[in-house]
Amino acid sequence: MAERTIKVEIKRQATPDAAPVVEKFEIPYRPNMNITSVLGEVAMNPVTCEGKPSTPVTYDSNCLEEICGSCAMLINGKAMMACSALVDRLQDGDPNKTITLAPLTKFPVVRDLAVDRSVLFENLKKVKAWVPIDGTYDLGSGPKQSPQIQEQRYPLSNCISCTICMEVCPQFNDATGFVGAASIAQAKLFNLDPGGAVLKEERLRALAGDGGIQECGFAQNCVQACPKGLPLTEAISDMGRDVFVQKVKDMFRQ
Amino acid sequence: MAAAATPAPPSTTPRKGVQPLRAGEGNSFYWRKLHSLSGIVPIGAFLVEHIVSNFETWNGPLAYAQQVKFLNSLPLVRVLEWVFIFIPLAFHALYGVYIALRGRSNVNVYPWAGNFGYLMQRVTGIIALLYIVQHVWRQRFAGIQLPEHPGAAFAKVQHELSNPWFLAIYVIAMIATCWHFAYGIWLFAAKWGITPGVKARKKFGYVCAALGTALCLMGLISIYAVVWKYPNAPADVMPEQPAGIALPAPSVNTPGATNPGQPGEVR
Repeated sequence: MAERTIKVEIKRQATPDAAPVVEKFEIPYRPNMNITSVLGEVAMNPVTCEGKPSTPVTYDSNCLEEICGSCAMLINGKAMMACSALVDRLQDGDPNKTITLAPLTKFPVVRDLAVDRSVLFENLKKVKAWVPIDGTYDLGSGPKQSPQIQEQRYPLSNCISCTICMEVCPQFNDATGFVGAASIAQAKLFNLDPGGAVLKEERLRALAGDGGIQECGFAQNCVQACPKGLPLTEAISDMGRDVFVQKVKDMFRQ
Repeated sequence: MAAAATPAPPSTTPRKGVQPLRAGEGNSFYWRKLHSLSGIVPIGAFLVEHIVSNFETWNGPLAYAQQVKFLNSLPLVRVLEWVFIFIPLAFHALYGVYIALRGRSNVNVYPWAGNFGYLMQRVTGIIALLYIVQHVWRQRFAGIQLPEHPGAAFAKVQHELSNPWFLAIYVIAMIATCWHFAYGIWLFAAKWGITPGVKARKKFGYVCAALGTALCLMGLISIYAVVWKYPNAPADVMPEQPAGIALPAPSVNTPGATNPGQPGEVR
């Protein structure tokens, strides 16, 4: 009996503007492999099934344990983290099942499976997702946080900026320029922070701009797909109310 | 060190892919909220009124005629009709099409309940729009004018539904519209922060489903009443009704009445 192998099809492109091509690889099987180790095997022997020499596959990765948020990609057509996608589970008992890998579809491809996700960083800047603590002198320790606030904030602080919530969202596209669930959840995280609350109104006003929270269609894919289980729909609902109240206040104050 | 501290010049090449949030720009927030609200009041409220009024068909052509006459006797009824029905409905429909065109449904890739609901809200909205355009034209503006001839309402609808194609269209549109309204209330509560919690949304989902089912059943029962319960309804059950405002019939005082204002026979 031949040694068991894994067949993997990878959508690749050499440059941001090159036409994508699909390359097939067959790599030796080991139990408990994840997609990161599959890509490692390809890098060790980058020869396609047809025997054509190729190159190691480019993809973003860092921690390899679902903490850094780098390695999001389409695995069997669905957005997942490569590090936490297990081959045995993906094949579901069928060792001949081919695994397909492709870059995320809603972000410009840099090369192979690496995409430019800087739009999330821009959005986090737009909603001021930080606690302003910089001063010309020591500002001292921050205000105390009650355990109730901590409990609300902790799940939101688990965001790893992988952009899977944006990839799976039907409203996140070129036409709407929707901000996406991650930035809305981070705005809530920092609005709940006793020190970060000083920017609360600015965050709420930012989220009412074009492409803001109103573009959410509540398909709830974000919360289904989020690898870290963030309460994203709850965050969107809470922030939807806060943004509306802020805009009504502004209307009567101006 | 000085060179390292100089910020990089802003990139002049346009950014590829989805654009970042336009914080503080545009009015889409107001339009989108108005669209969301208009679906509940006045349009949703009108839908409930319409289905409840139609339910009078269960009591026969005369009862339905009296309901039509009552609605048309409301003060400023033509103003009410335009301000609370036609204009909000046109806005909700056109902005809804604009919203639908900008969505990229992916329920084929991610076959989840909420994603299916997202697609269905757009599909049922388009079905309702196409139906309402023909419905308003054929039942409100074309043919016999029901505001002047409320007695002809039952027969007008019955004639329309005698065509099996129209009967099918009415049944499909009734289901689609009630679905759109019920899920729309649920979406409204979710998006406006009325039901932020998962449990609250689930419970409210049952409430909306019950409301939508009840409205839909009432609508379908009305269709049944028009088509099967009262076949061959007369063309006009109140042919003597004058158009517009009319004085009530003059009352004749009964001879010997102690109270001249009291109509009828003194016993």
